[in-house]
Amino acid sequence: MNPESPISFTCLVKINSGDRALENLPMELSGFDAARPLIITGKDAADRKALRTLIRAFGDSGMTFGLFDGVTDTTDLAVIDVLKRTCLEKDYDAIIALGGAEIVDAAKVLNVSLSLKVPDARKISAETPIRGRLRPLMVVLTAGATGLETSSVSRFEGMVFRSEYLAPNLVVIDPRLADMGDGKRIAESGLAALGRLVEAHISTDKNPFRDAYSFTAIRLIAENLKDAVAGHGGKKAATAVGNGVAMSGCVFSNTGAFLLHKLGQVVYDVRRIHPGLTMSMAMLDVLDLYRRRDGHDLAALFHPLAGDEEFALSRPEDRVDGALSLLRRLIADVRDAMGKDTPRNLREAGVPWYMMEDVLERLEADPDGPYLRPLAERMWGEEPSHLKKGQPT
Amino acid sequence: MIVPDYYEFCCRVKLLAGHDALERMADVLAERGIKKPLIVTDKGVAGAGLIDIVSKALSVSLNAHLVADTVPPDSDLRVVNELAAFYRDEGCDAVIAVGGGSVMDTAKGINIIVSENAADLMAFSGVGALKRPLKPMVAVPTTAGTGSEVTQVAVIKDHERHLKMAFGSYFLLPDMAVLDSRMTLTVPPFITAMTGMDAISHAMEAYYCLQKNPLSDAHSLAALSLLYRNLPVVTETPGDREARLEMAVGACLAGIAFSNSMVGMVHNLGHATGSVCGVPHGLCMAIFLPYGLEYNMHKRGDIMGELLLPLAGEAEYRETPREQRAKKVVSLVRRMNSKLNELTGGRHARCLREVVDRDGVPMVPREVLPEIARAALLDGASVYNPEEADYDDNVMVLEAAWEGEPLDRGKVKGG
Amino acid sequence: MELVRDVQAGKKPFKRAYVGIFLWFTGKAVQAAARSDEQVKREFDALPDDFAFSMGCLPNGPWMVVGKEEGAVKYLGGNPEGRHQHLRLKIKNLEAAFLILTFQESTAMATVRNRIITDGELPHALAVMRVLDIVEVYLLPRRIAKLAVKRYPRWPLKRKLFGRFAVYTRTLLGF
Repeated sequence: MNPESPISFTCLVKINSGDRALENLPMELSGFDAARPLIITGKDAADRKALRTLIRAFGDSGMTFGLFDGVTDTTDLAVIDVLKRTCLEKDYDAIIALGGAEIVDAAKVLNVSLSLKVPDARKISAETPIRGRLRPLMVVLTAGATGLETSSVSRFEGMVFRSEYLAPNLVVIDPRLADMGDGKRIAESGLAALGRLVEAHISTDKNPFRDAYSFTAIRLIAENLKDAVAGHGGKKAATAVGNGVAMSGCVFSNTGAFLLHKLGQVVYDVRRIHPGLTMSMAMLDVLDLYRRRDGHDLAALFHPLAGDEEFALSRPEDRVDGALSLLRRLIADVRDAMGKDTPRNLREAGVPWYMMEDVLERLEADPDGPYLRPLAERMWGEEPSHLKKGQPT
Repeated sequence: MIVPDYYEFCCRVKLLAGHDALERMADVLAERGIKKPLIVTDKGVAGAGLIDIVSKALSVSLNAHLVADTVPPDSDLRVVNELAAFYRDEGCDAVIAVGGGSVMDTAKGINIIVSENAADLMAFSGVGALKRPLKPMVAVPTTAGTGSEVTQVAVIKDHERHLKMAFGSYFLLPDMAVLDSRMTLTVPPFITAMTGMDAISHAMEAYYCLQKNPLSDAHSLAALSLLYRNLPVVTETPGDREARLEMAVGACLAGIAFSNSMVGMVHNLGHATGSVCGVPHGLCMAIFLPYGLEYNMHKRGDIMGELLLPLAGEAEYRETPREQRAKKVVSLVRRMNSKLNELTGGRHARCLREVVDRDGVPMVPREVLPEIARAALLDGASVYNPEEADYDDNVMVLEAAWEGEPLDRGKVKGG
Repeated sequence: MELVRDVQAGKKPFKRAYVGIFLWFTGKAVQAAARSDEQVKREFDALPDDFAFSMGCLPNGPWMVVGKEEGAVKYLGGNPEGRHQHLRLKIKNLEAAFLILTFQESTAMATVRNRIITDGELPHALAVMRVLDIVEVYLLPRRIAKLAVKRYPRWPLKRKLFGRFAVYTRTLLGF
């Protein structure tokens, strides 16, 4: 802890995790004086299965709720405006978002338009000031999460909204939805969370409140991700990973975007590849870069990755190498568990070079561009010689 | 890492810490459109000059604020009502509580009345009676120990009707907790020592009692490494700003841990000893903590052993065989108590028979132990304690804690 | 086509019936234990003369109410309305009640797992939890009860055998 640097931490998200967590939703709603939620979700098979479980969990509550199950990656502000008007007409008094980041991002923007009483939701922009509490928003996490669901950020139609009030009031991690037999989704979700957590945990501005979250989440993911992906750990392992994923969003709200996150996000924007997959390709390269820059505490990763016993046995000077080798093994194990056809680089993941050019262009526009560009090139698989000019050393 | 079958965790409090955290608090209040906050405090805090520091910090960003320093040592409904009326009449728009538990409770009571337009506070007592966010409230603790800046409960006494009203709701969590080293610099060593042990007991009980969860665990461990290292430092050198800040952060981390995982026998017996004999809460915690560990060790030994790492560091953890670690934790707690006893010239009592009042009169005569044991059966913390404790068990622990002898663990009835 | 459709939450008749029957049974067993078991008797003696408590499910029941009437502890039916209760043990939902009443979770463990809201004074709640623990020891085989209570009591054989017989007969025959 460096007392000279000011410490600030906010996490408005309550975590409900475990057996029959979904069944507590009616009670949680009534704690906010809400009785008629609008459930927002997507149309893919996993979302549909999750929705059936969620609706069953409301059994015996006597509640009636609205259901919008049409969120896609093309959902726009015009849809949000219609939803907003419907909420007002039908008196929906809370929002429950079921599913991954796209769904939750839409729910967050809908919540802004409702709570700020914006006359026309199509006029909302990233500049819209969000300075006060919004209506109750609850997120039900599924294996399709990216970790940003619990954060105070929403990306919608190319805009990035930021406000601590955007974070949901509650995240529910229920074993029935954390493990739906899809190891690949759990892997991507856990790796995306791990990427952001690792960056936060070594960052230059140490913060004991945030570190408590990142320490816990890294440890949960390190201990459980491989088993959860391979289907060995049952619902317990998947739930533990879900916990880590949910906490990663709380950490991200208190750090901001670093290199790995930016790489994952830009590739997702261009090619819709899960940020977890991208981050797993770049994580070690990025950490190597941080190692060469001042102030990053890579040694801090060793304890949550290795556990108490190994940590106590280690010499302080060996911890950076130890942490990197544990991470390398973890990523390799998880990728093995995902299956043989897991792409090793972006080329194998189906990113043609012309799209890669788009990725590189976007990265170059970032203040961290000089660092990001060579990293991205390596992720693609090979370095075309005409791109080598102008790289930082 | 143990993930329980079900758990909940919530700390919706903006946490600010630093040597200038008060100035940053003022900035955040101004950003949030607050124009005229009411500072609620007691005469002791105001007399120590702390309100001057808060006022000065506020006046940089805000044009107006008011101060009310009439909070009694024990929260009182009459004062709550008076100050709520004052808040309304003066058109205030936020409460800043500067002080200890009673000040925080009073501020929460005021906030319920002014937010809900309540005529009778009683209507909002109990768990879950509040259904919506209250007006802004900031907590500025002036000791490093209670963790009340991050708790969702309040107790307000109605001395006229002899009633104690308890309130529990996440809406009672302050919007902001401000940990500024200047607020604890002048706390005398005796108080520093026992409030610090209060925080250590929060972190430890949260870690081994039944409601533990991964996040409360991480908060406990982080708290312990800060508290255990710094407590002797601030007791010996009260003016050490860095150590004071680390203590404040440690106590807050411990507060977050225990308000999400609850506490057990140490608090159980401590509350009872406090109510029967008037022994300060922190001192009770310091005395009972080794016994809480010993009493529950047959069920939670491995978990308690993990605490050795933040307390003693890697070398000692590595060199202590696994089955000895929990016992080592107990001996470190006892060693800390002895050290604090030495640093406070004997005022930090190590056992119940050493507790004396200002006139040197023993506060806990041996014959009241049965009464304390009975009172402890009425305390809710027992639900979260790993092992059952009936009247006889309580007497056994109290006897040992009175003498200052380690507990004969062979006599603990295992379940 | 409407973007949003209204959905009505379903029903869980089987679990509701089970919880209802077991709450009734537990209520009757508390009444029986208060007559047969010294410790339960002592716990109730220490409570106010008009003491009543309820236990049930949010938001729509079922409930059981037990209270003291003219010095005797009685099961007072399944309707918590219209009668003052010193204590309400409110289980957050039907599934949680099912966990508790299928003895997968003890009352104490359910409290630890945030499944029960205790509305009332703590000493009352603790007394009632102690009573429920004793009743569980009477009603359940040792193997199951050991999971449900923190410390399985070492009772003399007489209390265990005769007590269990008395509690069962009184519960079922209702005297």
